[in-house]
Amino acid sequence: MKIKKLYIILTILFSILISTNQVEAQKKNISSQILLANKFYHEKNYTAAATIFEELISQGETNGYLYYNLGNTYMRLGNKGNAIRNYLRAQLLLPRNENLDANLRYAINQTQDQISPPPGGLITGILFWVDLISLFEHFELLILCNFIFWCICIASLYYRKSLWRSLKKISITILLVIFFSTGIKYHLSKKTLGVITDQKVAVKSDRNTQNITLFELHEGAIISVGQEDGKWVYITVSSDKSGWIPIESISF
Amino acid sequence: MQNPKIKLQSWLTAIVILICIFFPIQSFSSDIQLTTSVDKNILTIEDSIELSINISGIRNPPIPKLPPLPKFIVRSTGTQSSTQIINSNMQVSTTHKYLLIPKGEGNFTIDSVVMNLSGSTYQSEPIKITIIKPNSIKSAENRSVYTETSISKSNPYINEQIVYTFKLFRKIEARNLNLSMPYDESFFRKEDLGKAKHYSMVVNGVTYDVDEISIALFPTKIGESTIPPSMMELDLINRIQSNRQRDPFARFFNDPFFGRATQSKHKILSTKSIKLKTKPLPKKGNLKDFKNIVGQLSIAATVGKKNLDEGNTTTLTVIVSGIGNIMDVLFTNLNLGDQFKIYPDQPLFQKSIHGNQVGGEKIFKFALVPLLPGKQFIPSIKLSYFDPDKNKYNTISTNPINIKIKSRTNIEELNLVQPKKVASQKIDSSISILARDILPIHSRMGDFKSVTFDKSRRIIYMFGTIFPIVIYLIAAGYIRYKHQMNEDISYSRRQEAFGKAKDKLNHLSGSTLESKDFVRNLSQIIREYIGDKLNIQGAAFTAKEVEENLNKNTYAQDKISSVKNLLEKCESMQYSPVAPMNEHGLIDETTELLVKLEK
Repeated sequence: MKIKKLYIILTILFSILISTNQVEAQKKNISSQILLANKFYHEKNYTAAATIFEELISQGETNGYLYYNLGNTYMRLGNKGNAIRNYLRAQLLLPRNENLDANLRYAINQTQDQISPPPGGLITGILFWVDLISLFEHFELLILCNFIFWCICIASLYYRKSLWRSLKKISITILLVIFFSTGIKYHLSKKTLGVITDQKVAVKSDRNTQNITLFELHEGAIISVGQEDGKWVYITVSSDKSGWIPIESISF
Repeated sequence: MQNPKIKLQSWLTAIVILICIFFPIQSFSSDIQLTTSVDKNILTIEDSIELSINISGIRNPPIPKLPPLPKFIVRSTGTQSSTQIINSNMQVSTTHKYLLIPKGEGNFTIDSVVMNLSGSTYQSEPIKITIIKPNSIKSAENRSVYTETSISKSNPYINEQIVYTFKLFRKIEARNLNLSMPYDESFFRKEDLGKAKHYSMVVNGVTYDVDEISIALFPTKIGESTIPPSMMELDLINRIQSNRQRDPFARFFNDPFFGRATQSKHKILSTKSIKLKTKPLPKKGNLKDFKNIVGQLSIAATVGKKNLDEGNTTTLTVIVSGIGNIMDVLFTNLNLGDQFKIYPDQPLFQKSIHGNQVGGEKIFKFALVPLLPGKQFIPSIKLSYFDPDKNKYNTISTNPINIKIKSRTNIEELNLVQPKKVASQKIDSSISILARDILPIHSRMGDFKSVTFDKSRRIIYMFGTIFPIVIYLIAAGYIRYKHQMNEDISYSRRQEAFGKAKDKLNHLSGSTLESKDFVRNLSQIIREYIGDKLNIQGAAFTAKEVEENLNKNTYAQDKISSVKNLLEKCESMQYSPVAPMNEHGLIDETTELLVKLEK
């Protein structure tokens, strides 16, 4: 019986050790890949750098700095559309990074249409921190507020004083506000922003090249992506500018 | 009683009248007439003619076609319609009015005006017009209004500023003034010299109100040129002295609001054309940097920082000011030696009027990056111009400026990207952006951890959400229990009964009491337990009383009988003279009973 238990424990420990080693090896591999890509970038071999960054992202690596570096690499390659797309992806993960903001502004200024990301509206105006905090940070803040609220609940139950009851009311209000703002952030993160990658795209009134061209967009223009229909996608630039473009013309 | 026929007739008449008045489609009459008339046939070139085209006998006629009038400027002044009913005979007419402004002198004919209506053509009689010169005999002192133009110089140099002035002299009130001062754009460049001036002037003993406007012209070509006549259109207001001088309301009715007191006359006053001859600039001699600047100029230069580190920038500001074509001043390929890298900024020109001449200030800014440490100097910057007043070329220059460059201690890359602008932050004018670029890539490897919403993160988030709730529920239960234990004695007795009894039993099992005392204590423990459970004060009750109380609290019958039997057993052992006793068996039996009662 004792030998059997020992065997199980040893097996578990061994498998943990192996998996930890695998994770560490994978991490080392990713770090070496990033180092290599950065080296290529500094050596002005931007194509090789972009290939490595793209591979890492396709392997499931999600990191704001990875997107930022890829955006820079595309800027150096003169591919403003993909650069802006990656800066926007990075901005979701690094909402307060000034270097990223500066490069995104610079990239937008380099485009012909100079369209900035759409503003959040009234709710994000009131909940001003929504744009400054990433979704993950929102979740962490929500968990922290949740923990504080329940701690205050326990304290108010134990001490049964008006001060703790007031603190309980304040903390539930904060918790609800954070919960609401997390919902807003989640909704905004699901809102698909796309970037025009072709030099020039004619925005059509319907899903056919024979239809009327409503307006034209150029590489790097930021658009809201709506309904997809086969090879066409419905895009919106502003409340009065929307239409259909071929799906291969944008990156989203 | 009115005759019904007459009544019907009057109704029909009314309907016909209403139809004629309101029916939108043209109603034709058998005698449609088209006539034209003018207010005068003989006029001077300063006057204008009012041409009236009258169409009668038709409602809403088409607009008649005017004949070609190349010798006149034609303006429509409106359309009037009238309807007259005299003895049930209705007359309708429409009058189109035009203002004809003659362009030159001579005899002209206004040809027939033609109107096509439903296949029929109507035309008016031609009108003869004679345009004569203004009365040249009439001296200026007798004229109520006249104009003058002049130029400051009829023989200017190329690019020299000349002032073209238009003056309107008037003795009477004028309204709706409209001035046209044409000039040959291929020959001159024009600069405005501000708003018109208004003043009074006595000419041959007559006081005139004078309106004066000037423009600066810069001849751009050498040779003869003509400034075409300027034309002033205006309405002269003649106030008519009425017989109401004695009338206390005379002043009131003399107001222009009541049109009878005033009479307006449309006038077109044109000036003579002015010829001028632009001459070339004299020979330059040894001047190499001369760039067709003509006027009176001055130059000054300043630098932002005179002490700076190697690699830092300082701003050199050169200001050229004065009168003339300063807007044309340029410093291309500024040569300050090899000790500086120069980045020119867009020059700024601020126009100003000096007396009756246009001038201004042109500011040039250059960002200078010193390339060598030590004491350096910015050499004089020279500018050559031609002074037409003195009829000679001048060269002006700035003073040399000394600056001190400190050696750079550590080498760092110059950040060429403009930082994020803060609205309230004032930007130092001495800093100029040399170039713009993206900021560098991120290279701190510790920041490249993958951030994904994976399974482990989800579990952590769920745990973080649920764990505090679970803790709360546990804590709440415990706190509630503690509160009840403190506040409800029966509850606390009930809760603690088993523990207390068990402790006592343990204590009893370890004791060395005699058998009778052992049994008494055991019986006491059981009774105290029952007392605690049922919240009964004291422990002096019999087995029968215990049975009754347990029955009241709805204990199961087998439990009650077990308790009763054990208590009776203890009593019998306590009072029997010799009793075989198994102490451990009794302790175990009691423990089992208590456990049974706890369930």
